[in-house]
Amino acid sequence: MFFTLLAGNLTHGLLLGGVYGLATMGLSLIFGVINVVNVGHGQFIMVGAFVTLTMFTALGLSPVIALPAALIIGMALGFFFFYTVIRRLIKAPELTSLLATFAMGILLEEIAKLIFGADFRGYNWGLGKITLPITTIPMSKVYAFIGSTAIALFLYLWFSKTRLGTAIRSVMEDREGARVCGVNVDWIYALSFAIGIGLTVMSGVLLTMFIPVGINPYMGGVYTLKAFVIAVLGGLTSPYGAFFAGLIFGLIENGAYTLFALIPGVAPFSLTVSLAFWMLFFLLLIKPTGLLGK
Amino acid sequence: MKKTLPKYYPLIPVFAAYLIMFIIGFSMPGMWQMVALLAFYCALGQSWNIFMGMTGYVDFGYVTFIALGTYGMSLGITYFSQYEWLGIGIIGIGILFAMFLASLSALLEAFIALRLRGAYFAIACIGINEGLRHFIEGAKIWGGSEGLIYYGALVQALGRTTVNQLTSFWADFSVFIIAALAAFLNMYFMRSKIGYALTAVREDEDAAKVMGINANKYKTIAFLTSGWLGAGVGAMAWGLKLGHVYPDDVFVIHYTVECIVVVLLGGAGTLLGPVVGGLIYGLSKYWLAVIMPGFQLLIFAPIIIIIIVIAPEGVVGLLKSKLKGTKLEMFIE
Amino acid sequence: MALLKLENVTKRFGGLVAVDKISLEIKEGELIGIVGPNGSGKTTLFNVISGVYRPEEGKVIFDGKDITRLPAFKRAPLGLGRTFQIPRPFSSASVRENVAIGAMFGTLAEKVTVDDSLEIADRYIDMVGLEAYRDKAAGTLTPVEKKLMEIARALAMRPKLLLMDEAMAGMNPKDIDNMVTFIKKIKDEEKIAIVSMVEHIMRAVAGLAERVIVINQGAKLVDAKTEEALTDPRVIEVYLGHSKDESKWRSEVWKEVKNKDE
Repeated sequence: MFFTLLAGNLTHGLLLGGVYGLATMGLSLIFGVINVVNVGHGQFIMVGAFVTLTMFTALGLSPVIALPAALIIGMALGFFFFYTVIRRLIKAPELTSLLATFAMGILLEEIAKLIFGADFRGYNWGLGKITLPITTIPMSKVYAFIGSTAIALFLYLWFSKTRLGTAIRSVMEDREGARVCGVNVDWIYALSFAIGIGLTVMSGVLLTMFIPVGINPYMGGVYTLKAFVIAVLGGLTSPYGAFFAGLIFGLIENGAYTLFALIPGVAPFSLTVSLAFWMLFFLLLIKPTGLLGK
Repeated sequence: MKKTLPKYYPLIPVFAAYLIMFIIGFSMPGMWQMVALLAFYCALGQSWNIFMGMTGYVDFGYVTFIALGTYGMSLGITYFSQYEWLGIGIIGIGILFAMFLASLSALLEAFIALRLRGAYFAIACIGINEGLRHFIEGAKIWGGSEGLIYYGALVQALGRTTVNQLTSFWADFSVFIIAALAAFLNMYFMRSKIGYALTAVREDEDAAKVMGINANKYKTIAFLTSGWLGAGVGAMAWGLKLGHVYPDDVFVIHYTVECIVVVLLGGAGTLLGPVVGGLIYGLSKYWLAVIMPGFQLLIFAPIIIIIIVIAPEGVVGLLKSKLKGTKLEMFIE
Repeated sequence: MALLKLENVTKRFGGLVAVDKISLEIKEGELIGIVGPNGSGKTTLFNVISGVYRPEEGKVIFDGKDITRLPAFKRAPLGLGRTFQIPRPFSSASVRENVAIGAMFGTLAEKVTVDDSLEIADRYIDMVGLEAYRDKAAGTLTPVEKKLMEIARALAMRPKLLLMDEAMAGMNPKDIDNMVTFIKKIKDEEKIAIVSMVEHIMRAVAGLAERVIVINQGAKLVDAKTEEALTDPRVIEVYLGHSKDESKWRSEVWKEVKNKDE
């Protein structure tokens, strides 16, 4: 009985992991190309969540439509923030871009609070469920997983096959070398940042397909932490590594939740969130040479 | 000895500012609350400055220290107020707990600093904050998500009059003391081997080690000091003064943002910076709370960005470069 | 007794052997040159000695103590000083503060105060001729000035042995000669052993070193008195290949070697 429960939860975890993985790909892309860590990462996920919520409740549009909308909004935000803030900070000490992206996240939170209020909101897509031997899965979660994997796959193809994708990869490898080969590095920076943010906002949509409740301006912080753990797991500069690490993280998270739920007198959800931190700590312990090894 | 006196001149404007603030708050009716708020931000800014200004490490989860300080005081009062013979000693126990908890976090961060720098360190510190908060709620320790309410216990132990005096005056006064202490320690570190070592580590850690500097030892000293000061502020301004604590109230990243604003506005790594920043931010927040409550961060977040992009040295930094070569230079640091 | 002794030190990076079973000895007060073409492992050797790397095999013994596994920051107080090929100043601090840091954490660490260190710093700043830049931020100096500051900083540590990595890179011949004279002066006045490492500026080694160790592909090739070492056919081959310019090499080097006494 327990093992059915565990297997069921693990399946959910794998599906959610796909969403986590996609979200972290954006983070890794931005870091890999521009060498900037987007500390406001979770807040962009929140933006995606609210886009979905608004489109669903106000316009009656399914979250599937919200996906391309989120991409466009995300890329627009990405270009905006890049040209107003990030571009000036590329040559500055690391600290400044840290603080800037942090402040960007706070700004997004406050604007969201202004527009939507601080309450927890949600929506019900009501698609029905699939029944498997080990568990029942809401169709929306399946869609979320299919969506994440499809986008990740598309990205893989895009990066390896297209000229633009290759240009981005070249800048990740060797900035000056790419420049000498005629790549417009400044434009690649802007584009990569925009794509990274676009991916992140899209993952917010997919996340709400998975967890359509609890949407509020301050939901992002926890996801920044999780994304960071996943990025560390999968390699800070490798977007593909991030995706697979996301899957692993989803598995661990849900497995832990199942275990925690067995312990009396605790709140398993909060403990699971706290888990991300302990995982980070553990990772640091077992990789004493620093994290850039993987 | 003759040389040490001018060395400490930059403390004069700082202490003068605190003294003026105190006098205004003490003597003019209704001003104490505002002055206490200003002192709060100056103290936090000064404490955070020791962390970031000296070591160059950015601790986005700095609020953990403040929160742990609050919990330290809360735990002390909650569990020891039953021993009425302790009297005012309960507060002392609260402070000890606060410093103990802060030490744990500081040592953890020093350990993390061995492996991580820059952005990764900053985010790992957010992790500590979130991890602790959810752990308290999840494992249901220290009152879990319902927190601790001990105002009643405090009154029972010390009597209503004493408690009133504590919460309306002494708690805030302690914040002034902490602010002054933080400024002094800041200056002391800057002038001593610790400061030189940290400058070297900040600029080039590997070269510093070859020069004989035990980087970890000095980082740990800075983290511990900054953490204790932050915890002290939490213990007094929140723990003692409010009489209750909830994890959702205290483990809030926004307070780190406020520390950053204060220090950035005034000038990171300078002595006078956090005071100037604390005054500007505190006054703005107070004023904004009156006319547009709840909007402070909305306004300050873009301000942080603008400052970072346009004037990263802050007010005092700019002042320093304007005053270079003049006699006033030795007062501004 | 040897001040610095390396016993079969080997450093590997994955499959690459950067330092291959090198043994050598340096006595107190000696002036040694370490010479080797690009990629021969010289800088890695220095990094092993100063503690940036740990060797996979072998021992590093300094002043009688086995320091092979000792963390880098503990080697400085023992008397091991070092300058870098590309200077590494603490850019935001002044020249004075930079040099003072050397004094604060070197062999005098327990005995000096901050003020003492600043005084010591002044002395060495004067010695290298940077008095005019005393209060300038170290990051604003020219590369040659930064090199001089690094030397002052390393000297302020009052080391027993100073490792100098390409101290003369980027200098014109006149500056190199001045530096050679200067290094000899330091050796005599400060009574320290100096190891000067160069890649190809033979002028820097010929007039300076009593003994030269030649390294190639991580291994020690030659360890002999300067004239012998630099004119050894194996050394010439390493630098020039099988070339008919042997005689030209000999005459060039002889010129430098003879000049040192003038």
